[in-house]
Amino acid sequence: MLRYIAYRTLVALFLVWIVVTAVFLLLHLIPGDPAELLLSQGGIAADPEAVAALREKMGLNAPLWQQYIAHMGGFLSGDFGESFRDGTPVIGQIALRLPRTLEVIAGAALLATIFGVPLGTYAAIRADGKADALISLLSSVALSTPVFVVGSVVILIFAQELKILPAGGFVPFSQNPLEHLKLLLLPAGTVAIALWAVITRMSRASVLEVLQRDYVRTARAKGLGRSRILRRHVVRNALIPVLTVLGLEMGTLIGGTVLVEFVFNWPGLSGYLVAAVDARDYPEVVGIVMTISVLFVFLNLVVDVVNALLDPRISLVKS
Amino acid sequence: MSRATRKLLLPGAIISVIVALVLAAPILPLPDVRGMDVTNRFAGPSAGHWLGQDEFGRDVLARLIWGGRASLFIAVGSALAAAFIGTVLGLLGGYFRGAVEFLTVRASEVVLCLPPLLLALLVVTILGAGTWPLILALTILYTPNYARVVYAATLQIRALDFVTAQRAMGTHPLTILWRTILPNVTPPLLVQMSLVVASAMVIESGLSFLGLGVVPPTPSWGLMIRAARGAMEVAPLLLVWPSLALAGTILTFNLLCDRLQSALDPRHVTAGGALWLRRSPRRSGAAGVTGNHRAANPPLLEIRDLSISVEAGRQPLELVHDVSITLNPGETLALVGESGSGKTLTSLALMGLLPDMLGVSGGRMICAPRQGGRIDLAQLDEDGFRGLRGGEISMVFQDAAAALNPVLRIAEQLAEAIRARSDLRGPALHSRMVELLRQVGIPDPERRLAAYPHELSGGQRQRAMIAVAIANNPRLLIADEPTTALDPTIQAQILRLFQQLKRDTPEMGLIFVTHDLAVVAEIADRVAVMYAGEVVEQGPVAEVFARPRHPYTAALIASVPEGRAERLTAIPGTVPQPHAMPPGCRFAPRCTQTRPACSARAPEVSIPAGGRMTRCIRWKEVT
Amino acid sequence: MFDMPQEAPPLVEARSLGRNFPARQGLLGRRRDVWAVRDVSLALARGETVGVVGESGCGKSTLGRMMLGLDQPTTGHVVFDGRDLADLAGGERRRLARRMQMVFQDPFGSLDPRRSVGAQIADGLRIHGIVPAGKVRSEIARLLDQVGLPATVASRRPHEFSGGQRQRIAVARAISTRPDFIVADEPVSALDVSIQAQVVNLLIDLRSELDLAMLFISHDLHVVHHLCTRIVVMYLGRIVEEGSAAQVFDSPAHPYTRALLAATPSLHPRKTEVGGGVLPGELPSPANPPSGCPFRTRCPVAEKACAAAMPEYRQMGTGWRAACIKAGTGNTERRDMA
Repeated sequence: MLRYIAYRTLVALFLVWIVVTAVFLLLHLIPGDPAELLLSQGGIAADPEAVAALREKMGLNAPLWQQYIAHMGGFLSGDFGESFRDGTPVIGQIALRLPRTLEVIAGAALLATIFGVPLGTYAAIRADGKADALISLLSSVALSTPVFVVGSVVILIFAQELKILPAGGFVPFSQNPLEHLKLLLLPAGTVAIALWAVITRMSRASVLEVLQRDYVRTARAKGLGRSRILRRHVVRNALIPVLTVLGLEMGTLIGGTVLVEFVFNWPGLSGYLVAAVDARDYPEVVGIVMTISVLFVFLNLVVDVVNALLDPRISLVKS
Repeated sequence: MSRATRKLLLPGAIISVIVALVLAAPILPLPDVRGMDVTNRFAGPSAGHWLGQDEFGRDVLARLIWGGRASLFIAVGSALAAAFIGTVLGLLGGYFRGAVEFLTVRASEVVLCLPPLLLALLVVTILGAGTWPLILALTILYTPNYARVVYAATLQIRALDFVTAQRAMGTHPLTILWRTILPNVTPPLLVQMSLVVASAMVIESGLSFLGLGVVPPTPSWGLMIRAARGAMEVAPLLLVWPSLALAGTILTFNLLCDRLQSALDPRHVTAGGALWLRRSPRRSGAAGVTGNHRAANPPLLEIRDLSISVEAGRQPLELVHDVSITLNPGETLALVGESGSGKTLTSLALMGLLPDMLGVSGGRMICAPRQGGRIDLAQLDEDGFRGLRGGEISMVFQDAAAALNPVLRIAEQLAEAIRARSDLRGPALHSRMVELLRQVGIPDPERRLAAYPHELSGGQRQRAMIAVAIANNPRLLIADEPTTALDPTIQAQILRLFQQLKRDTPEMGLIFVTHDLAVVAEIADRVAVMYAGEVVEQGPVAEVFARPRHPYTAALIASVPEGRAERLTAIPGTVPQPHAMPPGCRFAPRCTQTRPACSARAPEVSIPAGGRMTRCIRWKEVT
Repeated sequence: MFDMPQEAPPLVEARSLGRNFPARQGLLGRRRDVWAVRDVSLALARGETVGVVGESGCGKSTLGRMMLGLDQPTTGHVVFDGRDLADLAGGERRRLARRMQMVFQDPFGSLDPRRSVGAQIADGLRIHGIVPAGKVRSEIARLLDQVGLPATVASRRPHEFSGGQRQRIAVARAISTRPDFIVADEPVSALDVSIQAQVVNLLIDLRSELDLAMLFISHDLHVVHHLCTRIVVMYLGRIVEEGSAAQVFDSPAHPYTRALLAATPSLHPRKTEVGGGVLPGELPSPANPPSGCPFRTRCPVAEKACAAAMPEYRQMGTGWRAACIKAGTGNTERRDMA
């Protein structure tokens, strides 16, 4: 097991390197001069002097390999440069805002799993029944409604019409824990809806498939009771693909935080990215994208390890 | 048109309407999307403006349709571009492997290391907002998805024999890719296509909503929602229309994707649920233990006129018809037959493990349990069966690799079987498990208990399966093709194990289901030969093999390749399908001895000698 | 090598064939050699049927694929009609494919589910220009007739046929290019007994009608006995015994052959209890084969010397060899099983 975790960690580190390199290549291989592209807006040519200054500032005049080394070095030391907008180090904003985004992600994953797995399992057992049809309909709608639509409608209904929830905002946990959690519920719950749909559907499909497996028949042939078969043989095995899907959905989940933090004025890292992109604040964008991508790789590592704990075959195959 | 195909009509029709609307946008009599009318801003629906007017007094309906045009153009355009590039990469990578694989699929997968929306944001940062940067970003984003799907499908199909056959034929590799592999990867490709369109719309609208996608004044659903949020207090409906349009369109594409999946790959449509998991109202006194008034030494099992039918469709379809079998304690009965003969269904019915869509439709299965009395298994529900499984009746399944739970240790699987029927716990339980593994001939049982099924060899897995089955000393053991998947030397080991079991537990009855006549000769006392759902002949093994009383048995024995003759004796034709059973004798169309009378009506059971039966009207003449 | 009872040069010849599927353990793990086939030499003359028997994992299918050039040998060569397959470039290799064909085990996987049966048979006819384009139809009809199917089935898709019928179609496809050599990889294993007999008979007929050389791979000794003149027994990637059907069946020289014969159930069971001579244990992993003779870990007559080196082939008679230092011993005590 430890060997497997070490192996997966190594793979994750390799992926981080790939991510950092990919970001670098993307910046330099997209046709055109980044400095010029950054300064031009809506077809108006940029001021050549400003371009030259920016080129100097971004280090674009150095040979590509030197730029690459500087890029890697910056990443390793956590130095993403200074923001174009206010001149403060990018890493400061990241350190401040990352925990808030993590809160949203964790809350959403938790909510989605707590409601998704049992409902999916129930729908599978009652497949083709009324409850199944209802859950299926709900999850289809939830899956198809983009988070910002859900968020806007939630505000419309709960904040504006019913006035039972605030329309968004943020209070630090240390100041008012209850209010903090109440405000967290909005973005986390909104992101959770689409994820819930995915987990419910996957749980249903997975449980249905496991129910057809020979070993469930064996469990019945042993004379075991329903709930024991369901717990030990059906749900436990069905969770493995669900977890894999959860890992695959991490990207969508992170994307969801970008929109949701914007919608609910949640001062996390993802929402900040939008402002940075809007202002075309190059160092900030690069810093945040790399941070979140590393987070993405790390979350996938966690999913892999938990999966290996559930399925003894995995650690054998790869380690 | 199948049911699955019919279900495609609804999402297909909706998408056609949407596409037709946005394509026809320029020629529809719509107000100008950019025509402002500030005096009537936020005006509600009217004859001129069916859905009202927005914050600049522009027509909402027109903007909705034109916005859909922009969204769909971007989503479908990038989905198509990505599909083309991704398919080429996936096909080449999957077929040629090696360096090509690395350069195509692996290289494109680098993109997957970045969360999708972030990648799009990065591209937008560099290239600025707008329709074309969006298409470029989405194409980059989705190309690896296609490459992956096509690559996986190509790998899978490439390993299939029909592709190897093409290679063996000397077909050019590109021809194989184009003619053989591409058509076979199309189903997952189509599914992926509808999925990507939906997903691209989500990202496009999200970016536009953030003000980083489609640039105003071009209408787009994301932008409309963004604008409507600012005016939420004044005109909440402005938020509703684009939200509905966006969610509805994505929903339709998702629906199309789901239904395509089930239409193109019927394997994914699993039989609904599991009836056994639902608690049913107890059948009234069904499991009725009748008095012990019969002979002092009753048979272990007495099956009378058992029929099993599939309950799908209007008319129940009989798969097993009028099977009558008796098994005495200590006796081994072989159920032998070819595929589709109903031998496995009969054995599953004894355990109450028939698949949900099948059911016992007639007859009795009288079982004499340990504590005395008699139980009709045909009347039992799931709870009733549960009381008998393991302790009274137990079963060894064909494929031990599938029949053992892959994520539980052997000890856990064995322990739960023992504990279901006894109070053994702790060290006593452990020593019982060790004893069982030793009994089935697994070396080093202490260590093997901690192993997972995949850590055992095929033969050992089958032994572990047998240990689970005999854990509670069942009175009746059913073995369903327990040696079929095994190699000859391992098969011999397992057969020997069964013989040992018979010796060690002389009271246990054994039903051995197999298709292999030679195995029958090795292990069984009596044999029931099944054909097309019926028992056609029954009797002691030696007598039946020495002098078969049914032409099918005779032909089956003759077709076993064991003699020295150059040519084998084949039975012409194929086993009839359950929905197309011939009238009269079911074997008549393939029988060399058939007469018109054979097809006139179903043959009665005849008793050629004590302990034997045959279902042939001409047994006296032909055998 | 040893004397072959034949004058003409063989049609196909495998020379010291080996196939390694190296497996890497983990990211930084060592590469481990896993030899599926090791040092196999085998020759087939025109019109000859050679049976290859062995249990799963013995390398018989890999051998068959290499003999057709569908898999590249790691060591050794396959020589077809005097030409080394490894020396042939793409186009030339594909032209040679006309003369060598394959019939597969799984009748459901060997036909493309999306194309009509006729189109699949026509592929070979068109690629190699066997008949003029105008005559393809009638040629398909003739081929289908030859395997016992009506010509009308040509327009149907594979899913409309039963396993036995599909196998006939696969045979028709294989003989469409008028090959000289066919590898049949377990062609009847997936079929019911009564259907199996139909297909075996078909192969027997075709073999004599078309003067085919055939490599018949099977785990079923009885089927091989019916069909083959010469038999090759494989164990853990190596040939342990080779000889005429009569020699191998009546007086098996290698202890593994004897065990295999004893283990195969029979309609006329031996008076002794089943498995009087049941082989203990299971096939060792090819990733970690025993030293010396691969069979020694399960062999009833193994002794110390067996672990020392891979035994040389011992000549037991004309065209009959066995890789065992004690080859031939123990025949008398198990004479009854044959």
